Amino acid sequence: MKAILTDITKCIGCSECVVACKAYHELQEDIPRHWHRNDGLSAYNWTAIIHKEGPHYIRKQCRHCLEPACVSACPVAALVTTDEGAVIYKPEKCIGCRYCMVACPYGIPRYDWEHAVPYIQKCNLCHDRISQGKQPACTEACPTQATIFGERDELLAEAHRRITAEPGKYIDHVFGEFEVGGTSVLYISDIDLGFLTYPVKSGDKVLPKTTAPAMSAVPPAFFGMGAVMGGLYWFCKRRERLQNEKKNEEADS
Amino acid sequence: MQELLDFARGPLFRLTIALMVLGLLRVLILDIWGAITAYRRAGDRQLAWGDALRKTIAWLFPVKRVFTKRPIYSLCSILFHIGLILVPVFFLGHVQLWKSSIGLSWWTLPEFWADLLTVTTVVFGLTLILGRVGSAQARYLSRKQDYLWIPLLILPFITGYICTNMVLSPNWYVILMLIHVVSAEVIFVFLPFTKIAHCVLMPLSQFILALAWKFPARVDDKICTTLNKKGAPV
Amino acid sequence: MNRLSVTKSILWFITGLAVTFGAARMFFGLGAVSNLSDATPWGIWKGINVVPGIALAAGGFVVTAIIYVMRHHEYHRYAKVSVLLAFLGYITAATALVVELGLPWMVWHPIVYWQHHSALFEISWCVILYLTVLFLEFIPTPMEETSRFAGIRRFLIKYKIVLVFLGIMISTLHQSSLGTLFLITPEKLHPLWYSSLLPVLFFISAIAIGPLMLIVGVLTISTLYNKPLEMDKLSKLAVISMIVLIVYALIRWIDLAATAKLAIAFTGSWQTLVFWAENSLLLFIPIILLAIPSVRRTRTGLWTATGSAVIGMVLNRANMAGIMFVATGKAYTPTMYEIVISLGILSAAILAFLFCIERFNIWDVKWSSDEERPEASPRFGHASDVWLGTPRIAGRMVYSLVFVFSLAVGLAILPVNRIQSAGVSDVPAAKARGGATLFIDGNRDGYGVVFAHDDHAKRLGGDSACVQCHHSNVPMDKQSGCHECHRNMYVNADVFRHDWHAAPAGGNLTCNACHQADRQRTAETAVACDHCHKDMVPTGATITLEQYLAPSYANALHGMCIACHQEQARVLAEKPDLGRCASCHTLDDVPMYLPDDVITAYRDTMYNHVVLPQSNSQTDGN
Repeated sequence: MKAILTDITKCIGCSECVVACKAYHELQEDIPRHWHRNDGLSAYNWTAIIHKEGPHYIRKQCRHCLEPACVSACPVAALVTTDEGAVIYKPEKCIGCRYCMVACPYGIPRYDWEHAVPYIQKCNLCHDRISQGKQPACTEACPTQATIFGERDELLAEAHRRITAEPGKYIDHVFGEFEVGGTSVLYISDIDLGFLTYPVKSGDKVLPKTTAPAMSAVPPAFFGMGAVMGGLYWFCKRRERLQNEKKNEEADS
Repeated sequence: MQELLDFARGPLFRLTIALMVLGLLRVLILDIWGAITAYRRAGDRQLAWGDALRKTIAWLFPVKRVFTKRPIYSLCSILFHIGLILVPVFFLGHVQLWKSSIGLSWWTLPEFWADLLTVTTVVFGLTLILGRVGSAQARYLSRKQDYLWIPLLILPFITGYICTNMVLSPNWYVILMLIHVVSAEVIFVFLPFTKIAHCVLMPLSQFILALAWKFPARVDDKICTTLNKKGAPV
Repeated sequence: MNRLSVTKSILWFITGLAVTFGAARMFFGLGAVSNLSDATPWGIWKGINVVPGIALAAGGFVVTAIIYVMRHHEYHRYAKVSVLLAFLGYITAATALVVELGLPWMVWHPIVYWQHHSALFEISWCVILYLTVLFLEFIPTPMEETSRFAGIRRFLIKYKIVLVFLGIMISTLHQSSLGTLFLITPEKLHPLWYSSLLPVLFFISAIAIGPLMLIVGVLTISTLYNKPLEMDKLSKLAVISMIVLIVYALIRWIDLAATAKLAIAFTGSWQTLVFWAENSLLLFIPIILLAIPSVRRTRTGLWTATGSAVIGMVLNRANMAGIMFVATGKAYTPTMYEIVISLGILSAAILAFLFCIERFNIWDVKWSSDEERPEASPRFGHASDVWLGTPRIAGRMVYSLVFVFSLAVGLAILPVNRIQSAGVSDVPAAKARGGATLFIDGNRDGYGVVFAHDDHAKRLGGDSACVQCHHSNVPMDKQSGCHECHRNMYVNADVFRHDWHAAPAGGNLTCNACHQADRQRTAETAVACDHCHKDMVPTGATITLEQYLAPSYANALHGMCIACHQEQARVLAEKPDLGRCASCHTLDDVPMYLPDDVITAYRDTMYNHVVLPQSNSQTDGN
């Protein structure tokens, strides 16, 4: 499993990763549209730098969850997780239902509202590059090594090593280690990164598991309802027949 | 003034042109629909197709009439119609408007011809009014709309000619342009609901005339029944 | 005009408007007509048409279950209406999906690409299957009109019970899986609506609303066509619904109490107001009114109770599907166009409903001939006093006129600006402020670039260097500011005023003065501005005028600065970072109108900030 570790304390906000991402994926220039959320991400910005007081610079991008809500939500399997851990999008399957945007706990997938033939747009961890053994464009472009690419286990170990080496500098938490079942994009930081998700936190709850019980109840519910209705039908029909017989008897007598 | 002009060229223009196009489509469809219903119900399905077609073509290209009956009237009418159709569609300024709004452009009239046709339309339009007023028969047959239509039709031609060919102060230009645009829009609005609808209905009118004399099947029996003379020979 | 033709005319008008706006949505994309956004990807199309359309169609399975499974044959008369209502409800939902989906022509994909973990996958299958079932249940009715399909019709009627069973089973899944849909959004859906029991709640509320919707349909027919009502049967149906509504209310409120969310309902935010409105409409008003026998046996009482429940139901589903996605940081207010499209789909469905009950043997309002229609009074054209024909043809004339008129009105009020600007907000560029040091903040958002103007001028060669950046001026001006031509922050600006130049527009130039003679008069064939305005482009300027459009402010300044900076970054060994964004854009929030010395200080820290660890080691030697 590949992963990205971003060290907020090292980021200088130079936006080289953003530029590299846009250049590599040939994304068109981005100008403010009325449908944007004001967090820098858009259909043409797959990663963005969020400025916070301090200054702190936090790079926002797809978290590439280990158990992604978007993948479980997509009705046509247009979003899939690859062996490397990247969550990628297959536009040829998409029907444009936008359920992935509704489901994502980090609000990452963005829509191409401008065009009459729109597609979902999101970071794909430079899937084509990492499958060739290269690293993503963003981590390659980072001049300060604030965002690095590697195996998830090694990066987790490195994150914990940094936190224990300088305990006063960091919050003792690797963001993304356990949240929503773990993510492939990890952060260590000196400020709380809770703002990357919504005010109500899902915590360590694995989102696909919220729908799983209801989905697994589908076949029993289907046949159960059939059985209940069948029983009811038999009962009512019998009652009807008995009533008719009774009526006939009364008529006879 | 400029705002009024922008409004007249923008939303009002879209509204009226849509009303015209859709309204004409509507009368065309309703007429064809009605004609088909009438034809289905008709007892006698014989239609003089060839004759109707020949008459329609004769109406659409009225060359023959010029040399036979009422030559002056026919000539005026033809020249009036040529300018009336060609200038609004092929004048360069209008083509530019189409290009900027829907991205389509087509052949344009040379400036000289556009001016000439505008002048002929105005002149022969006025001649047609004079002819109508001058003839007692025509006066008897005319309705109010017959007198109103020709001045309304030539108004945008006059204002358009002034706007393109004279040096005007911007105020006068805007006022005249406003009259030009709004009068054209008034034409668009009333076009599908008055006699000018003949611009799309003309090819049909001969067939509808031919159909109009067909009675529904077995209508003679019904008439006899209504008249309490059932069984009587018709 | 009687009540029926007025109603139909209004419905045709709304449908016509919706057709125009729907076409605009198809041609220009979702952003052109809707306020859907990255924050609220689902809006009222899902909330008013798709999800409630399916909920209100529940009558199809509830009433057929009562009649065919529980053998209450006294309701047999209502079977056809409820099946028709369900069929139209599903058609409404499917039509709205075509508008609402980004790629509606791919809507068949769930049949081929399976993903059985997704609630939406299950829903798509349910829609497809149940639409088929409803079609087969409904189709014998229109088949009565012709003898051609008698065999098929007899077959379908004979095995109706199979269809009824399939309908009930599929509906069970479908109604509940709509609730499952929102289980995955615990962090977005407002806590008053989010519950782990959503599938159960959706299913039970659908059962409750089904018969109520049937009553609304019957009341509509009775009002429009002046037909009597069977009050005893209708009120009995309403009581069934009322009992189910009570069960629903109990489950919902006990769940709220058990998960300790009840307190939220009393915090007084706008969401709680919507919550109380929804609960009153869907639960309190109908339950109370239907509980009183004297009320539920009157036409007004029944209208109020069922209408309130149906509106409450729509509000409930709309809250789930968009309005109560409150945690997304951006409020969603639907545009007029979205609302009209929503209403238009409903209007079309009502028209289809009226069409079916008039033409087919569903209720006792089928007309055997033209003259029996309620609009049967003779019609005459308004202008011509000409008889418009039989009532059927007259109706056709009136409704088609209304429809055409509404299409035209729709075209007139299309959001042309929204469509042309492709979602870009119009942001006039602001003048840069300051003296020796300029604070450049074109879009006035408080984030900007501090630009050492005099420093740059000195570095580039003193007074003679102005022209390198001030490449052209407004006529009769020197050193015009960038914002004077690059007027918009993000959109190219048209800087040529045709009406100030051309003679026909009141200027003093003929067309040929700018457009070369004998060629088509387009922007390409026109001469550039400096053909006449000799002083507009200073000698030695870096840029020549080619067109009448000035690039957007952001593009213009980026184009001006970045090229030179990158060149300098290459040339100057000691400043390799000059080409980076951060060499200008690092200050987070520069207060406006700072004193020069403060800005200079900021600038120094800015440059220092960019000096990177590796670069340090390289530049240490210098």
